[in-house]
Amino acid sequence: MTKPFILATALMAATALTTPAFAQTVLRLDEVAVGELDPAKASDYADSILMFNVYDTLVLPRQGGPGYEPHLATGWEVDGATYTFTLRDDVTFQSGNPLRAADVVYSLNRMHEIGQGLSFLFPDVEAEAIDERTVRFTLAEQNAPFIASLVRLPIVDQVLVQEQATDDDPWAEAYLSGTAAGSGAYSVTSHNPQELTVMALNDGYFLPINDAAPDQVRLRYSLEAATVRTLLAQGEHDISSQWLPPEVMRALAAGGAQMFTESGTGAFYVKLNTARAPLDDVNCRQALAHAFDYGTALQMVAITDDVSSGSPSTGAVPVGMFGANAPEMALTRDLDAARAYLAECPTAPEDFNLEISWIAEVPVEERFALLMQANFAELGISSSIATLPWALFTERVANPENTPHISQIFANAVTGDPDTLLYNMYHSSTPGTWQSPEYLSDAQVDEALEAGRRGPSDDEREAAYSALNARLMELAPTIYAYDRQSVFAASNRVHAPALSDPAMAFGVDGVGFTFRLMEMTGE
Amino acid sequence: MSSVLRILLRRLGISVIVLIGVSMLIFAIARVIPGDPARIALGPNASAEQVANLRAEMHLDESIFAQYGYFVSDVLRGDLGQSLYTNRPVTTDIVQFLPATLELVIFAGILMVGLGLPLGILAARHRGRWPDHVIRVLTLLTVSAPSFVWAVILMLLFAFYLPLFPVAGRLGDSFDIATVTGFLTIDTLIAGNFSAFLDALSHLVLPSVALSLSGIGQAARLTRANMIETYDKPYIEMAQAFGFFPSRIAKRYAFKPSMIPSLTIIGLDFAAMLGNAFLVEAVFAWPGLSRYGVAVILRKDLNAIMGTVLIIALTFLVVNILVDLLIAFLNPRIRHSTRASS
Repeated sequence: MTKPFILATALMAATALTTPAFAQTVLRLDEVAVGELDPAKASDYADSILMFNVYDTLVLPRQGGPGYEPHLATGWEVDGATYTFTLRDDVTFQSGNPLRAADVVYSLNRMHEIGQGLSFLFPDVEAEAIDERTVRFTLAEQNAPFIASLVRLPIVDQVLVQEQATDDDPWAEAYLSGTAAGSGAYSVTSHNPQELTVMALNDGYFLPINDAAPDQVRLRYSLEAATVRTLLAQGEHDISSQWLPPEVMRALAAGGAQMFTESGTGAFYVKLNTARAPLDDVNCRQALAHAFDYGTALQMVAITDDVSSGSPSTGAVPVGMFGANAPEMALTRDLDAARAYLAECPTAPEDFNLEISWIAEVPVEERFALLMQANFAELGISSSIATLPWALFTERVANPENTPHISQIFANAVTGDPDTLLYNMYHSSTPGTWQSPEYLSDAQVDEALEAGRRGPSDDEREAAYSALNARLMELAPTIYAYDRQSVFAASNRVHAPALSDPAMAFGVDGVGFTFRLMEMTGE
Repeated sequence: MSSVLRILLRRLGISVIVLIGVSMLIFAIARVIPGDPARIALGPNASAEQVANLRAEMHLDESIFAQYGYFVSDVLRGDLGQSLYTNRPVTTDIVQFLPATLELVIFAGILMVGLGLPLGILAARHRGRWPDHVIRVLTLLTVSAPSFVWAVILMLLFAFYLPLFPVAGRLGDSFDIATVTGFLTIDTLIAGNFSAFLDALSHLVLPSVALSLSGIGQAARLTRANMIETYDKPYIEMAQAFGFFPSRIAKRYAFKPSMIPSLTIIGLDFAAMLGNAFLVEAVFAWPGLSRYGVAVILRKDLNAIMGTVLIIALTFLVVNILVDLLIAFLNPRIRHSTRASS
């Protein structure tokens, strides 16, 4: 027998012999790198998954419906711009330190001082510990979305973090980028932000944990589509990221994978530059909005007959949020209306010369660019397609002259509240960002956005966002292509009610990946 | 001073100049890539004030000459700065990711030499006959497709349809091995865990084969061509006329002179694999420096780009020096010409 043959046989035998046989249940999933563990810097999807499992927040979105519920808090009182929270008395951090009001104050101050991640959600907020279990937030002005924002304020263990702080690193950023100081249901065993984070169940968690919840979670970063498909087939992976191409998702679904979904907080927006001719005229914009083929757009992101990455759009506000239109009011293509608007447009179709851009890092946008080009060509409208890397796109939108006529954006409300989705898009004080390449400036829109932010009651907010929705549909600064839904392919070894049953879903991205609520089926 | 030492000193001197040139070039190029590094690092939701603060912290609001001055002074203190991509010191990232890439590239290099040269010799010895034809077709196939295509094909064949080898990472989930060198094949042996060693080896198979296939083909074709040229030399004909065995002629008289051009190309290929490994690393979720390098370029992470490029350039230079020394050792004419010129 030759040496190479013996070596090859040994390697194959080793592969078979070393197939892991776990005494404990392991959940394996992937997301796009990097996994940012420091809660003050977290902003992406992977960061959210880490944050919602390793740390806790004062409130959580209500499961199966709108609104927010106390989590680390037992309740709160609102007095104008002052919010007073009472904390639970049975919470300890993973270090063993008890949760105190001072930890909440420290967490907010740390986020402010570091100034990264989602700290923009708390611009003019001050926190004060009234006693061990009472914390008071004072806002510069009344701000109805504040409670929703607290979903993004993870509470860190002040005592532990301060022990790690140095003169050069007063907020222990180096320490918290590699390990965790939270009270969450999972502790971090190891963390490599580009490769893998391993988490283990925290037996001392203050809430009951499902008996079948995974004992260990292995969150891998930046797996290629072919790798994910092979790993799922080999039984070495459980949940894919949402970023797989639709073709791969379809192949996985055809192979028996279950499809998890998370929806309700975002949409796919086709942004029209209202400051650049010919789209500075509302009739020209309306012609495009009515010529867009909403049905084909949805077919392009469909994965199976029942599951899609999109659901029909009904207007500017995604279905499920304050001010959204009813689901049956889905937008549809209307070429006759488009032609009527085009007749009122001061620019001749052949002189439009639209620049339709797509973000180079998001290949699916190229397909939408081609769809739009074909749709608009039916009206005789001339256009060209431009590929823009994200970095170049964010530079170009800094002034209206350089901003493409048409930009494509996927946007989500990071707190589940429409304010975080719409204010930065449409308020006239925030033009020239990736969110607002429309350069819209309209007094009625501003007024509705401010009323929605002010609240305070849900009814008032509903009225404000309804008015906003109606006004935006009149102005057509954006083509509201479809409401977005995140889709994940999963093995049958895991059951995740929050990602498979709408009655158990949360309204905020990433919360559905609360591992303590998942069950390993043992298949 | 020996001739080899003279070659070494000369190469080291040139390497320092090359490294300085590379650093200046990459420093300038990294800053003309579109996009604001502070904006990219802080994410789309960051406020203008946050972006401005980070720009000031990174000295991006100062002239490029001042920025280069800060960079050089930090590098001289052994500080490559903080990565905006991983939020860790760049040196920490390099220490973590470089061994993974080196281990992969070294194994691919071993395959390249261990299979490429023998195949080339075999083809040359059987020139014009069926082994030569088979080897030429196979090597043409390997050099025709890039390594990431081979990566996907190998994954489909030997992991998806025929689940023989693992496809992601460097070690199975059930092993917990303390990092000593960062080379898992060595660390597992240090830990005395032989099954972990075999597991690490099995994780290396598909990525290293995918990475080396093109090099194997190139080395085989080059060795074949050089050997055939050498076989036409009069001293080989004389050896044949004296009735020496073909294997002795191949080993003692044809192979050594044929090796020199092959070694140069193999050395360059080996060093180039460091940079080219990123797609193979991406396909096999291999946590290496090449994948890290591409990720930091896409995010315009200036410190990490500089650190990664300098390390790859340094490795390139070290490999070239080693190849030069090896060639000088094998070829007395180079040693003598160095002595004569000095």
